[in-house]
Amino acid sequence: MIAAAPWLLGSAYWRGILVLCAMNVLLALSLNLVMGYTGQLNLGQSAFFGIGAYVSTILIKTYGWNFWLAAGAAVAAAGLVGVALAAFAVRLRGHYLAIASLGFAVITYQVLVNWESMTQGVRGIYGILAPVPDTVALFYLVAGLGLVVYFLLDNLVRSPVGDTLRAIREDEVSAAALGVNAAVWKAFAFGLGAAIAGLAGCFYPGFVGTLVPDAFGIVESFTMMAMVIVGGMGTMIGPVIGAVVLTFLPEVLRDFGELRLMIYGVALTLVVLFMPGGMVQAWASLKNKIA
Amino acid sequence: MTDLLTLVVQQSVNGVYLGCLYVMVALGLTLIYGVLNQINFAHADFVTVGAFTAFFTATRFATKALGMPDTGAYLLSLFAALGAGALLGWLVSAAVFAPLRRSGADELRPLIATIGVSVLLENGQLALFGPIPYQFDSPLGRQTIRMGSIFFSAQSALVVIVSVAAIAALYAFMRFSFMGKALRAVAQDRETAGLMGINENLVIALTIVIASALAGVAGALLGPVVVLTPFTGGSLIVKAFACVIIGGFGNMEGTIIAGLLVGIIEAFTVQYLGSGLIDLVVFAMLLLMLVIRPTGLIAERKEENV
Repeated sequence: MIAAAPWLLGSAYWRGILVLCAMNVLLALSLNLVMGYTGQLNLGQSAFFGIGAYVSTILIKTYGWNFWLAAGAAVAAAGLVGVALAAFAVRLRGHYLAIASLGFAVITYQVLVNWESMTQGVRGIYGILAPVPDTVALFYLVAGLGLVVYFLLDNLVRSPVGDTLRAIREDEVSAAALGVNAAVWKAFAFGLGAAIAGLAGCFYPGFVGTLVPDAFGIVESFTMMAMVIVGGMGTMIGPVIGAVVLTFLPEVLRDFGELRLMIYGVALTLVVLFMPGGMVQAWASLKNKIA
Repeated sequence: MTDLLTLVVQQSVNGVYLGCLYVMVALGLTLIYGVLNQINFAHADFVTVGAFTAFFTATRFATKALGMPDTGAYLLSLFAALGAGALLGWLVSAAVFAPLRRSGADELRPLIATIGVSVLLENGQLALFGPIPYQFDSPLGRQTIRMGSIFFSAQSALVVIVSVAAIAALYAFMRFSFMGKALRAVAQDRETAGLMGINENLVIALTIVIASALAGVAGALLGPVVVLTPFTGGSLIVKAFACVIIGGFGNMEGTIIAGLLVGIIEAFTVQYLGSGLIDLVVFAMLLLMLVIRPTGLIAERKEENV
């Protein structure tokens, strides 16, 4: 189905949306690891997306690196910054962590705006090329990476590591009593989640062709959160469904004007209020009723 | 030397008036947190709604339809913004906080739900009012008051007067009225307060309404001194959080001190480092505070989140 998607949606416009969708799947998967499985409300995920995008682009454009080498460095950079943010998560929980991560996202955004000698600030970086020649190839590349990440994470969360992360989510004190070093595993989840978001970030500039800090504002964190929660937080397939639905729904409704973010806001609030388990849980309970 | 002194006093004056605005916004957040242990993420968007309500009341309704003089129209618009904020607060309380409380949701679900409300409010206003900034001229903004070599606008004097009055009224309410005492009782121990016959749901709703009304008034005061767009409030929320964290979550005195401090630091950042770095400095302070003293300037009793 993924392989056939570019032919089912023939126009250049819809093929672009497909690439965006594959990127959103990666982002939703990355946030879900931290928020869904480890239970850490992280509002700073947009920062890692931005770090991936800027580090890879600057290494390519300014220093003439090869794309894959630059992408590797960008993923590593995002992952390391993620581990650094985890230093806060070790000491802070709940609302405090949410606000600390939000502050972190704002600081990253401000650095992108103000460090003009490196990032060009709000003027932006132009003429960025994608690593592959056309949109369909880019879609296969990002979707393929999405699949790889999905299966790796799926294995991870079903392994003892996944049990450890869930133990931290459910009750950190009890987990610590059972010998779980929460600090290390939180750093692991934050770092891995950040690296995956950074990976998505490597493909974004080439896809759009330009790079401006506004693409990585805190609202980007909220859209990722909406995808994870609408789909079903703490399940593997949920965030994927959420990313697909929330990428395509606004496009289908485009006739009603630019409503993308309004839809995200409404969906987020309604799902939290009426189906906290997201679409995955709603589907499961629907199946139960019929059976 | 006198030049330097003048500069320092002038920037402190600017900082205090900015700080008063932050206090108005942050106090609402901290009030709700104190009573409910919840964050209303859409709180700062109520500021934007207040600002737009005031803008349309002052420039369209009061002057055009009622033929009021400019100053009277602007003062009337403060009350319109208060009403708009209170109404929004009641809506969010009834539609989001109350149902989630009944379903026994964990502490983060209301935060996430109100993030949705915030995104909706910002983009709803974007659809209604467009992205182009509105020029909200307060008649008081044109009048300059001079004291020695210090200058400030009548608008900033009004900001300080209204916020001091609002905070004094809030304190009097909390200290002397029955509902205020009930509010403090619920903040201390919700279950016991309920057992003592206090209608906790009413108290919680009232708290959110009061907090939101403060945000609405802050919007009417803020509108003429900033660039008014649908995202004005959104850019304020993280700064308001900074005040709340620096002051200590749920602690009113701490929040007032922190709000003034953030305002003054902002004024001096503009003077010495440039306006582009304001957010960077304030949030670096926020993160630093979270690392060295997460309980805020004035420590709270409860520390389960830290």
